Amino acid sequence: MNEMEHSSTCERADDLVSVLYGEASERERREFELHMQQCGNCRAEFAAFAQVRESIGEWRDEALSGFVSAHPAAAPVRKSALAAWRQFFDLSPLWLKGAVGFAAVVCCVLAALAVMRFGPPDEPVRVAGGNPGAVYTKEDVERAVREALAKQKQEQRVVEPKPVIIADTPPKPANVARSERKAQRPFSKAERDQLAAELRLLSNDDEAELDLLDDRINRQR
Amino acid sequence: METLGTDEIIVERALSGDADAFGEIVRRWERRIFALTYGMLGREEDARDATQETFLAAFRNLRGFRGEAKVSSWLHRIAVNQCITRQRRAKVRNESALDDEDEKASSFAAPLDYSPAAITEGRQRTTAVRRALNCLPVELRQVVVMKEFEELTFREISEALDLPLSTVKSRLYTGLKQLQMRLEKFAA
Repeated sequence: MNEMEHSSTCERADDLVSVLYGEASERERREFELHMQQCGNCRAEFAAFAQVRESIGEWRDEALSGFVSAHPAAAPVRKSALAAWRQFFDLSPLWLKGAVGFAAVVCCVLAALAVMRFGPPDEPVRVAGGNPGAVYTKEDVERAVREALAKQKQEQRVVEPKPVIIADTPPKPANVARSERKAQRPFSKAERDQLAAELRLLSNDDEAELDLLDDRINRQR
Repeated sequence: METLGTDEIIVERALSGDADAFGEIVRRWERRIFALTYGMLGREEDARDATQETFLAAFRNLRGFRGEAKVSSWLHRIAVNQCITRQRRAKVRNESALDDEDEKASSFAAPLDYSPAAITEGRQRTTAVRRALNCLPVELRQVVVMKEFEELTFREISEALDLPLSTVKSRLYTGLKQLQMRLEKFAA
């Protein structure tokens, strides 16, 4: 096939189709439009090609309007379980819908009866202060409370209740309490001497020397 | 629909064993390939068969896709080859087959408010276009169809057919010129 058989007489076939299909740059389009104003051949070809395109477009729209995908991949994406159930019930016959409804009611009634008959047992109770691992029923707790109350009543009869002393101050550490007790009783001599020596208030040796010095001065006088 | 990525990524997923990935490729390109095959073959039934064969061939040769060209170009090439093979097998389509198809095609597309004269005129025009296009050499027809039916750019056609841009434009020009002459002859 000779492809140049129908080439534009102006050798501007490329520009013509580029402008015809809107793929020419702005500059190319302006130049070709200026050329068409002077070239009747290109102007006529441009108009004729536009007419051909219109005819092809009519056929194309007609041909593709009836296109329906036959491929499963083009079908809607997987339905949810709820949508699938809904579709199932929409398509199922009336008797099946009735049977499913009846079965659902029977199931609900049976479930309610089962709950009433085999309800959950009494909740076990854990008692504070008791054995941490032990589990008590309500009956055990009530019995234990009764016994405790009875025991308490007996004790109240036998023993006078002691006055309750409420300490205003918090208990003191053992070493502080010991030193306070120590301070309340009189010092022994040894303790007194030791305390004075520690405080550098008195020194037996110094005192003796001072006494001797006083005596010597008095004698010289 | 969620973003699935480019065609090339989807093909990679299909190659790595994702069964749904190739279905996504079909979903994306089915209509365009159908348009191409319809334009090339001129009959809906043939076009459907050729479209199906195109995707089957693509799936069989999926491992041969190297990613050097776009997936769309690869599919177009397969589709064009499918059409050429079908036409070679059928040799030359006879006029009676086209007439039967014309009746089927025009029966569902005619708007209700058209007058019988307008419908007849429309049918005659589309019949003329179909015949004129069908008479074009394959090299010209495929370019005209890719441009008019698929609305691909010159560059996309050039990539799909592995042709220089200037050749695509000159083939399109020649195809339009031949169509114009045939349609004028028909109108006369």
